Amino acid sequence: MTAFPAGTAADAGLACCHLCYKLAPVAMHECPRCGSSLHLRQPDGIQRTVALLVTASLLYIPANVLPIMITTQLGNKIESTILGGVVLLIQMGSIPVAAVIFIASVLVPIGKMVALSWLCWSVSRRQKTSHRQRTVLYRVTELVGRWSMTDVFVVTILVALIHFGGLLRITAGVASIAFGGVVIVTMLAAESFDPRLIWDHLGDEDD
Amino acid sequence: MSAEHYACIHCDLPLAIGELRGGQRALCPRCGHLITACGHDALQRALAFAAAAIVLLVLSNAFPFLSLKANGLKSVMTIPATAAELHRDGYTTLAILVLGVIVAIPGAILAVVMALVIPLLQRRNAPWLVPAGRLLFQLSPWSMVEVFVIGVIVSLVKIHHMATVVIGLSFWSYVGFSLCFAATLANLDRLQVWREIEARRT
Repeated sequence: MTAFPAGTAADAGLACCHLCYKLAPVAMHECPRCGSSLHLRQPDGIQRTVALLVTASLLYIPANVLPIMITTQLGNKIESTILGGVVLLIQMGSIPVAAVIFIASVLVPIGKMVALSWLCWSVSRRQKTSHRQRTVLYRVTELVGRWSMTDVFVVTILVALIHFGGLLRITAGVASIAFGGVVIVTMLAAESFDPRLIWDHLGDEDD
Repeated sequence: MSAEHYACIHCDLPLAIGELRGGQRALCPRCGHLITACGHDALQRALAFAAAAIVLLVLSNAFPFLSLKANGLKSVMTIPATAAELHRDGYTTLAILVLGVIVAIPGAILAVVMALVIPLLQRRNAPWLVPAGRLLFQLSPWSMVEVFVIGVIVSLVKIHHMATVVIGLSFWSYVGFSLCFAATLANLDRLQVWREIEARRT
């Protein structure tokens, strides 16, 4: 048995507006306060989330394989990937910065994609346990997503700052766009997942 | 105002939430989601921080952000020049993305906050209250001001050993801007703002 209070507003045909949190009958179609369209649950939430996750994981390949930054020193081109940059920072002895980049560019995006996939899977097979933990996992996923942009910003700043003509010059690599895409698409994926699905079917334990 | 019916946005538990006093918060009893928090003089504070943030945002685009000195050569970075540099290299998408999330979207959010909070504080209705409220909460997830500040700090650590880095006026303005911007959004609780808008509309 569950210790949680049962019931959802959707059972009563009431929808909470995703934009202004007004509760209104879903039959109204439009929120009476802000005019957004009302839905009991995000339309096709799981399908959209899965589609965006597939897109993000495909983009993640070029983001890691292709160079994110190109250093040209006296005609010599050195291309560096995300992981290459982390290794370089460790060799330089900047362990904390290497950790920041590794967490932001590797752990967070992968963790986010795994977490959202698992949430989609657990919801679609109507998992009856750890409702609260899964909701917290979703909240964390939603919160940390933006921080993956750190490495893209670092590249941007270095490109803008280091241009000494033929002596030394840094340009952005294709991976920077791919990685920016990963961040945007995973943010959209988190936004299209509806955490209320975790709590549906809470009452019907017997089936 | 009597208790308003509400359903938790994270677990859809039907709830009734009464009027909160300054400093009170309402949490969902089932999933623990922070539904709403009522600050002390939240609208006044939001307006004050937004006004400061606008000034600091303008300053941070007007002066050198960082400059680099190495072997008699000097290179200066400003925020607008950063986007221009990326565009010159053929990375226009990246230039738009970066400038969007660190300057354009935060700037738009601040303009919307001004347009929304001033009429609310004067307790008068305005035809743009609802669109402004919608825009504010649609845009706010897409600002990455504080992430950029971390990016700048990481860049400083990466380059400090190879040249002399001079921190410009715009750097400090942007750090101040990021703090004021975060404080502005922290004072604009979604449910409280929409209750205010609704009270002015009727």
